[in-house]
Amino acid sequence: MSTAAHAPASSNPSRRDWRAFFTRHEMLLLYVLIAEWLFFYFAGTSTNRRGVIVGFGTWDRQFDILRHSCEIGLLALALTPVIITAGIDLSVGSLLGLCAILFGKLWHDGGLAIPVAIGLTLGIGALAGALNAILITALRLPPLIVTLGTYSLFRGLAEAITRGSITYTDFPETFLFIGQERWLGLPTQAWVFLMVALAMGLLVHRTTFGRAFRTIGLAPEGARYAGLPVERRLALVYVLAGLIAAIAAIIYTARLGQAKADAGTGYELFAITAVVLGGTSIFGGKGTIVGTLLGVAAIAVLKNGLACLPVVMRLNAAEEMSGLLTGALLLVALTASVLPKILSNLRPRRHTATQSTPPLSP
Amino acid sequence: MKNYLLRFCVAGAVLLASLVTASAADSKLIVAMLPKSKGNAYFISCKAGADKAAKELGIQLLFDGPTDSNAAKQNEIVENWITLGVDVIAVAAENKEGISTALRKAQKQGIKVLTYDADAMADSRSFFVNQATPQGIGQTLMDEAARLVGGEGEFAMIVGSLTAANQREWQKYVEARLKEKFPKMKLVAVRPCDDLKDKAQSEATALLSANPKLKLIMAICSPGVPGAAEAVKQAGLTGKVKVMGLGLPNENKRYVHAGVTDSVILWNTGDLGYLAIYAGVALAKDELKKGAKSFKAGSLGSFAIEGDNILLGKPFIFNQGNIDQFDF
Repeated sequence: MSTAAHAPASSNPSRRDWRAFFTRHEMLLLYVLIAEWLFFYFAGTSTNRRGVIVGFGTWDRQFDILRHSCEIGLLALALTPVIITAGIDLSVGSLLGLCAILFGKLWHDGGLAIPVAIGLTLGIGALAGALNAILITALRLPPLIVTLGTYSLFRGLAEAITRGSITYTDFPETFLFIGQERWLGLPTQAWVFLMVALAMGLLVHRTTFGRAFRTIGLAPEGARYAGLPVERRLALVYVLAGLIAAIAAIIYTARLGQAKADAGTGYELFAITAVVLGGTSIFGGKGTIVGTLLGVAAIAVLKNGLACLPVVMRLNAAEEMSGLLTGALLLVALTASVLPKILSNLRPRRHTATQSTPPLSP
Repeated sequence: MKNYLLRFCVAGAVLLASLVTASAADSKLIVAMLPKSKGNAYFISCKAGADKAAKELGIQLLFDGPTDSNAAKQNEIVENWITLGVDVIAVAAENKEGISTALRKAQKQGIKVLTYDADAMADSRSFFVNQATPQGIGQTLMDEAARLVGGEGEFAMIVGSLTAANQREWQKYVEARLKEKFPKMKLVAVRPCDDLKDKAQSEATALLSANPKLKLIMAICSPGVPGAAEAVKQAGLTGKVKVMGLGLPNENKRYVHAGVTDSVILWNTGDLGYLAIYAGVALAKDELKKGAKSFKAGSLGSFAIEGDNILLGKPFIFNQGNIDQFDF
């Protein structure tokens, strides 16, 4: 609290920037992530009977975490601009399932080469995103309702196509390489994930598109009066979401070596959780890709780390615990994000009451 | 202030970690058991047997699985167990090909792998603990039917469908046993019920009126047994026409207690879990090797091994005397 005593010092602009940087939501989330990681490193690593170091503190485990979080991470990246525009896309998980089985069908029944099937699947994903986009922008329907509809529609289609029972398997080794092997030191799919993250980062933070997303999220009518092509920008984020869901579908299929209609069930909710945890406002206008990445990492480390704790292992409750703690983490993060505002609302009042000095100018 | 926050977080994490680790030191053999879904009563009853075996053998048993039947989750759990360095993994595969990738990876790391209840690809595991062979099921069904009617008289069968591979297989062995051992019994009709209880009931009603000399109905699909029982009960023939077949204890308890259904046949799931754990531990200790012909599992005695299948052996018969001990 020593810095608080020197409150006037914060009028020094450079110092204020410094403090603002470290109290930003992303930094707080980074602290949480570091704390989580250290905790699991010390509590979740042990030596087994054969004298081998096992558990959280192994490279294998770290790579597994990366591997397991790629699909949900991709969906979270897709949802970040959507949510920044004050929209939502509940259909990405279902679309992942639909794209996975269509990819399997194109390859297995259609006899197409893997690269061609991948290309077509990405096209289908973008088209499905375009369906959302048309309903939302041309008909001005609320995104929540539209994507709730396509959420059922895409999953239903996937189940209808496979009649709920066909599973495509026996993919060639070269394709499984994407999901199960390492390339240049990292799991292969992590490279895809990082590239998409980089592209989305540039789009959201370094282009006029990104600025348009935030403006639309804050005030759609204002954006329209300011001459922004609101419909076209909104359409872009939903088409992108469809495309990225298709990429996630390919990676998912390669990781498991199977394409089934239930692929990605419930993933949309994990992705939304990661985005919101990452500091993106569900009301739109605010949010960063870095925040989303940290949100994904915080959830993934928590989930995988818990499974390494001897106590949790003995209780056989890794699944339940991770659900519970992810929820708690989200609620704590949301509370923490409004806490400074509440505190700063309290402080000036106390100042005026006790010292009767004029409140500090902002 | 934020520096303190960071330091506080780190210190807290490390402190907490040391507390948790203090109670962790354990050098027991670890066997990890994966059900298709862990809330399923069937697998919970498997776990009861597995727990018993774990206690007898003094090992640590991990029992974890998806909360619903989710193939992707199964893979993640197995991959987690690999990095935890467990000694044995026993799996009931939800998806044969999907899980096999993860199991091969486990084998590469020196973890012993076996499957139970539902098999994976043969190269991804050492043994499959096979709960029932079609032959065993067919013979037990026919023997029990003959016992119930004293070895003579007419009986009819209700099957799931006339085309399903496993149903045809079981039917084949029932008929073979009939021909071989029970010349005084006669199979008068085989009717499909499409795995629906209602259909089974109406088919059974039709069978009862068409065959007045019928002494027993055997249903070899699980909705068929309660369906046939309901028909017999409503026709007022309880006790005169016996009902038996393949099914789950819970959906038949009511009819068994009412004396309509005499025997429900399935395997003993507790024994399945027990055997899987014993086999897993024997694998880890190198006491069970490829090519073995039999295997001794604690209090259950010896089991035959056919190729890489450890056979649980004869199916289990649930009746009025024991059905309440089972909950699945």
